[in-house]
Amino acid sequence: MGLLEIIKSFKSSQGREIRILLLGLDNAGKTTILKQLSTEDISNVTPTKGFNVKTVAAAGDVRLNVWDIGGQRAIRPFWSNYFENTDALIYVIDSSDRKRFDETSVELMELLEEEKLRRVPVLVFANKQDLGTAARSDEISSRLRLTEIRDRNWHIQACSAVSNEGVPEGINWVAETIKTKPKG
Amino acid sequence: MLSTAHRHMESTPEKAVNILSGFKLNWMNLRDAETGKIMWQSAEDMADPSLEHEAHVPKSILKCRTVSREINFTSAHKIEKFRLEQRVLLKGNNLEEWFFDFGFVIPDSTNTWQNVIEAAPESQMLPASLLSGNIIVETLFYDGDLLVSTSRVRLYYD
Repeated sequence: MGLLEIIKSFKSSQGREIRILLLGLDNAGKTTILKQLSTEDISNVTPTKGFNVKTVAAAGDVRLNVWDIGGQRAIRPFWSNYFENTDALIYVIDSSDRKRFDETSVELMELLEEEKLRRVPVLVFANKQDLGTAARSDEISSRLRLTEIRDRNWHIQACSAVSNEGVPEGINWVAETIKTKPKG
Repeated sequence: MLSTAHRHMESTPEKAVNILSGFKLNWMNLRDAETGKIMWQSAEDMADPSLEHEAHVPKSILKCRTVSREINFTSAHKIEKFRLEQRVLLKGNNLEEWFFDFGFVIPDSTNTWQNVIEAAPESQMLPASLLSGNIIVETLFYDGDLLVSTSRVRLYYD
């Protein structure tokens, strides 16, 4: 299902602006996922030094904005400028980078404690499953203690941003979750 | 209160000059959004906002069900209330109008905005011969009410 089809399925809610935030450490694969959402070439993806916003508008009044914000350490302090009015958080993890599981876990826990992101549903993409060294999603769930999350909807989806495997499934979860739990 | 207002008036022009001098449009492209394929990409440096740029796009883009316009910019300074207005003009008349609020722009950042749009039904689409050379995509960048930069691209359908 493409992004356009997703927002068309929101048609009933008039004048709605949907905001999805894509966060995670640098080199997790956020921009590649963003590009896969509209089948763009991913061979020239470079580190994001700021944001990439994809706005999708269908006939009608619904607009979907996906915000991919750079994950480098120097940029992370600026993440909080983009929290307001978020409908869903997508947190991307490089499943093969075990050395940084603690670091990514700390960043995610801090996000989940943010007042502005209270009750915002979170999808964790356990990315880079195409690599042999990738941790499985159940291992990541327990390492990041996702199973202890009680205050919001959450879901973990194994995926490979380069092959697009698992990406549509994750996006569908986000769409269904937003649809049943509108913001505000 | 008076002194605050005074200080504000003094600091605004300086801030404006700073933001303007640190702002640069890097490139722009048009895609068939169904395939993600680039139909046109600006080769020239888009930094000079006084120039009108020309885009020669294959006329098959008019058959695309969805198209995307993507713009990439750099800002040396932080911007608090960044927003843009994009208009598609046919001989000066508004065909489309888009507003987008970015809010905060990170200092020393490079950013993109991509707008994916569903095309008008083919039955309502004007022929390429009528559109070619008469369409301008105009993008205005603002910090609040302050105009930061402008981009004008005239489209030719070849």
